[in-house]
Amino acid sequence: MSSLRTAGLTKSFGGVRAVDDVTVEIAEGRINGLIGPNGSGKTTFFNLVTGLIRPDEGRVLYRDRDITRYAPHRIAHVGLGRTFQLCRVFPRMTVMENMLVAVRRTRLRELLAGTHATGEVERARHWLTRMGIEHLERAEARNLSYGQQKLLELAAVFMGDPELVLLDEPAGGVNPALIERIVTLVRDLNAEGRTFLVVEHNMDMVMGMCDHVIVLDRGAPIAEGPPSAVRADPRVLEAYLGV
Amino acid sequence: MRNASRYALLAAGVALALAYPWIVPNLYLLYAGVLTLMYAATATSWNILGGFTGYVSLGHSAFFGLGAYGTGLLMTRAGWSWIPSLIGSALVVALFAALVGVAAVRVRGASFVIVSIALVSMTNLLVQGWRSLTGGSTGLRVPSPFPDLNRGQSHFAFFYLFLGLLALVMLTWWFISRSRYGAGLRAIREDEDKAESLGVPTAAFKVTAYALSALFVALAGGLYALWFRSLDPIFVFSILIGSYMVLMSLLGGVRHLFGPLLGALIVAPAGEYFLVALGETQVHLAAAGLLLVLVVLFMPEGIIPAAARLVSRPQQASIREEAAG
Repeated sequence: MSSLRTAGLTKSFGGVRAVDDVTVEIAEGRINGLIGPNGSGKTTFFNLVTGLIRPDEGRVLYRDRDITRYAPHRIAHVGLGRTFQLCRVFPRMTVMENMLVAVRRTRLRELLAGTHATGEVERARHWLTRMGIEHLERAEARNLSYGQQKLLELAAVFMGDPELVLLDEPAGGVNPALIERIVTLVRDLNAEGRTFLVVEHNMDMVMGMCDHVIVLDRGAPIAEGPPSAVRADPRVLEAYLGV
Repeated sequence: MRNASRYALLAAGVALALAYPWIVPNLYLLYAGVLTLMYAATATSWNILGGFTGYVSLGHSAFFGLGAYGTGLLMTRAGWSWIPSLIGSALVVALFAALVGVAAVRVRGASFVIVSIALVSMTNLLVQGWRSLTGGSTGLRVPSPFPDLNRGQSHFAFFYLFLGLLALVMLTWWFISRSRYGAGLRAIREDEDKAESLGVPTAAFKVTAYALSALFVALAGGLYALWFRSLDPIFVFSILIGSYMVLMSLLGGVRHLFGPLLGALIVAPAGEYFLVALGETQVHLAAAGLLLVLVVLFMPEGIIPAAARLVSRPQQASIREEAAG
């Protein structure tokens, strides 16, 4: 069954077709990779899927539900979570406050409930512990190291209990030990039934972690398949190396 | 600060506020006290929007003026008594703010500030222009809610009315600050798109905060109308009233419950002092402007965080060290 499906998704900025007629399918339960050279439209694709920008044409379907015109928060409510390329946390809020931002349902009673009256704090501690940053609960997010902020961003996304998680360059600017930790986390979370779509430049990470890889070049998919097949595909080599 | 000493300080503050009308030596100081409470209430109301979401509205005097005129008009034209007039007027203003808010909070940063200023100018023109209803630039006279009281007794009554309003606004701010709704509003201040991607319905959150903030400012405006009983559109719709809300909040600290109150306790008496010492000059305006510049330059987060830093040692270094290690 497909988790996410796009049909003819297109978005232009000025004269540039950043995403050009993209029809892809993200299978449920897998770790999917989305790769491509700089400027190939990966982040634009993420922004289109999560509603941050509106497509010029085409549709986005999540579990066969058309979410093309949904506001980003509604897309989060149906089960899509995402991280951002340059790691975005709420800098002048504590780690725990960052964790309590995610809204799963807009029910007045839940929104007006005290943050500490609900079971959310326990859930937050659970996720912080999984990320290994539970000892930083009271620290302001801006005082965390970059790696810790990445883990916090990831933990905060899971507070929304997403089924499909879009990660935009999870290994960017992160030391090798932490990359290893993130890979292990993604694998574990995938084994628990969550689907991933990962944009990443670190090829070792993509090839080692993903079950399925889609390659974008100049806004359009040029190849897809298991990592080993994609790696050997001449079109991919051409796109990356320009040979 | 320990919790016990915190409660002691709070209790002392409340006791002092309650006792103030009984211990002041003259009517003028009682009047200044009412004025200070009014500004504190408006600034704290402003902070429901400004402090949580970071949307700086310079135009909240629009809601003050509308609340004042609404109360006056419901009493004079519809013949309602003062309490339903006050509440009815504030509810209408809140509804108006919600409608305006749907459009206004779409724009962020400096654009929002401009939109908020435009709102004041428009409401001012509307009220001045609609002469047959509002009395135009000659103003509106409001009947007294307490015809049997003399001036001193009236100040006395309004001191407690404004104190009650301030308490209500502060309780509301506090209630929001510890709710999930408040967490979402703060997240909007920090990174709106990120908040949205985490499922926060940012538009709805902003509009409700805007309307709630307007509701309380309108209540303050309505009480002002009942207290002063003579409405001058130039004053109630002046940018000055809105700017005072911003200045007081920034001075005390927008991220703190007591920030706007602290700012009001400094700015309002200072303004009155300049008026008394120098007469009807514009010096108090220049002083307020200068103060705003100084605060933004040297204490961008306000007095409360600055003072807190002096008292407690920074602990952030240890986290950085650990991160580096």
